[in-house]
Amino acid sequence: MNQFIFQQGQAKELHVFPHILEFALKKINNTQLNSLNPTAAECVRMYFVHDGKFEWIINGNKFNLYPGDLAIVLPGQIFGGENGILNIGTLIWLNLKVESTESGRILLGSWSDLSESESITISKILLFNSAPILIKLRDRTTLFQNIKNELTSQEIGYTTRINHLLDELFITIARQITRQNNSQRDFPQTFLKLEQTLRQNLAHQWTVEEMAALTGLGATAFNEKVKNYTGFSPLNYLINIRISEAIKLLDRPEENVTGIALTTGFYSSQHFSTTFKKLTGYTPSEFRKRNLPRKQ
Amino acid sequence: MECIITIELGTNAVRIFAFEMNGNIIASMKGSYPTFHTKPDYSEQDPEQMFITMLYVLKNLLTEKIHPKKYNVAIICFSASMHSVLAIDDRGVPLGNAITWSDNRGKVEALELKNSSLGTRLHDITGTPIHPMSPLIKIAWIKNHDRSRFEDTYKFLSIKSYIIQQLTGEYAIDYSLASATGLLNIQTIKWESEALAYAGITVDKLPELAPIFHSPGKLRKEYQKSLGLSPSTKIILGSSDGCMAALGAGVWGEGKATITVEDSGAVRVISKEVLRDDRHRFFNYILSENCFVSGGPTNNGGLVFEWFARQFGDFKNPYEVESTIENLIREASNVAVGSDGLLFLPYLLGERAPIWNANARGSYFGLNINHERQHFIRASIEGILYEIYSIGKTLEEHRSIKRLSVNGSFASIPFCTQMIADIFNKPVTISKNADSTSFGSFLVGATDIGKYKSLEEAAQTIELTDTFKPNQSNHQIYYRYFEIFERLSANLANEFEAIASLQQKH
Repeated sequence: MNQFIFQQGQAKELHVFPHILEFALKKINNTQLNSLNPTAAECVRMYFVHDGKFEWIINGNKFNLYPGDLAIVLPGQIFGGENGILNIGTLIWLNLKVESTESGRILLGSWSDLSESESITISKILLFNSAPILIKLRDRTTLFQNIKNELTSQEIGYTTRINHLLDELFITIARQITRQNNSQRDFPQTFLKLEQTLRQNLAHQWTVEEMAALTGLGATAFNEKVKNYTGFSPLNYLINIRISEAIKLLDRPEENVTGIALTTGFYSSQHFSTTFKKLTGYTPSEFRKRNLPRKQ
Repeated sequence: MECIITIELGTNAVRIFAFEMNGNIIASMKGSYPTFHTKPDYSEQDPEQMFITMLYVLKNLLTEKIHPKKYNVAIICFSASMHSVLAIDDRGVPLGNAITWSDNRGKVEALELKNSSLGTRLHDITGTPIHPMSPLIKIAWIKNHDRSRFEDTYKFLSIKSYIIQQLTGEYAIDYSLASATGLLNIQTIKWESEALAYAGITVDKLPELAPIFHSPGKLRKEYQKSLGLSPSTKIILGSSDGCMAALGAGVWGEGKATITVEDSGAVRVISKEVLRDDRHRFFNYILSENCFVSGGPTNNGGLVFEWFARQFGDFKNPYEVESTIENLIREASNVAVGSDGLLFLPYLLGERAPIWNANARGSYFGLNINHERQHFIRASIEGILYEIYSIGKTLEEHRSIKRLSVNGSFASIPFCTQMIADIFNKPVTISKNADSTSFGSFLVGATDIGKYKSLEEAAQTIELTDTFKPNQSNHQIYYRYFEIFERLSANLANEFEAIASLQQKH
């Protein structure tokens, strides 16, 4: 591929794609000081190594990237070359404007055809991922190449096609991240990781699809695996964790019941109370009264 | 119709069975809970989660399988994994997670005590090996390293005691589970003052001691109501998983031993006397009065083969470890007995009996240019079972063993069971009852109800048929390789130390 650079505001090709801030391929032939100093940005930045070896620091962690590897830098994350240097090689990058919500969620915007729940799940996968590097992304050059070709040739339907290619890029990334993070061989280990993620975000209204995506499985296979391994359906397993956490909080006199309900992921104190009683035989406040200081 | 429900609070999951009075299984269900390793050497479980999981599974089992058929639940009998410690405050609220048997944080304390005359004496008096697994060491660790938890503790419970307290309001522990704490004198059946002094606690910090048939009281009214059980349902303490498995395997009496291999494993015998070994290689736990379960545990059972399968097996679909293992075993059966001279030391998790060396490591030995992948598969299985045999062989220095009863998911794979028969050169029975622990609990419940006069009578009703007969010529080959295995395990002791201390530095 030849070098190119499209920048929003300068390249007329990007007028119909306000979400694409920058899209470029560059051959770097010599190293210069301060050529890649650490910066944070509001957008999602993707860097794909075409050839060469790049040493980067993302969010304080050092990574070495080789041809075929892709780095994803999320809004607010700091990205730069080691010692501020951009190494020699060929690099493709793509900066995309997204909306970040307060809860840290990333919304792709109206150009995307992903459903809301799909895009929430993808953003969760990106956010929960501590090592934002995809190793040996298969055939991704083709994907970037196709975006470039569509952008320059502007054949009929090209806007739709480019937006689809962007969606596909996100889907591929999300799937590969979950496969890369889970060995796909050790379900107990994967499930333990999921359980820890669930416990850290109990207030979130988890769906089976979201949980499945974090383990790198489809919803059907995930359901079956969880049922087999834990004896519970994923949602019932989640209720287990919610109630166990709630019992811990009930043992602290300073917490109020509505607050406990919400932090442990019940949508109201009523919902909490019914579920709690169904399982334990006690309402939350009865349960709390049960543990009174013993007379020594 | 009457039924008996057994609740096994196991290492990874709670398993609940419902039995008809004749021992037939009506239904069973399980619910798993995770083990957290928040630091190296730490193994913890969330007591609330275990309690809720137990309640949830029990409720599902009752509403789906028991109530619709109008069974009356006569007895609920418990069993649990050994050696857990849970500190609670004076309101009964857990102070942190429960520390499980596989926790190793007290390894320094354990090593010091083991090498002292007090340690030797305590092993003799309490029957529990001096090892980080034992609550004796764990409580001492809390005293030494977690002072505020130690000061705030009203009682040190086992997970089972905690769950029974939640259900009934009483703090109790049975002699059997208590005999695995390292704190109980197994002859007088009282808490041992020298052990308490070492742990830095007094008797009031421990739950009340009671026989395995003891009922700690009725279910709290709220649970009777939510579970749909009547006040006449009797709760009994029961025993530990290991003792129940020995009872349920039917190895009561002379000449019999039971081999359990799940993730970890053990070889056990039941007898009227404590097994005295001057090299302190065995445990002696109480099953009931004047009845002891003695033997040796291994860390490296089915878990080690699962490790092998995950590293080297072909996975057709994500996470399908069972079918991967099946295929590996098929491949292993193409290799000659003795794996053409490839030997495997399975000590991936350090080892308990008989070498009791936490720094032991795994190793393949005897590799030559003709060995293929399939040799590694077979050698791995042979190595795991040689280790089981090395426990059995040391037991045979004290007890004569004529036949074996095998249980546990790894040992009961037919290929493995036949190998056990060949290596031991003894006939082997697979228990008819897939879950020996639960069946043992059933026998305790049924004895309590009066169906049997004693546990001995209950255990005698289990028929042992020789389903796997040893092959003499295979045994000869295995035995010769085993001799090398045994020497390697002993001779590598210095190298195990060397690599462990090197790794601590780097």
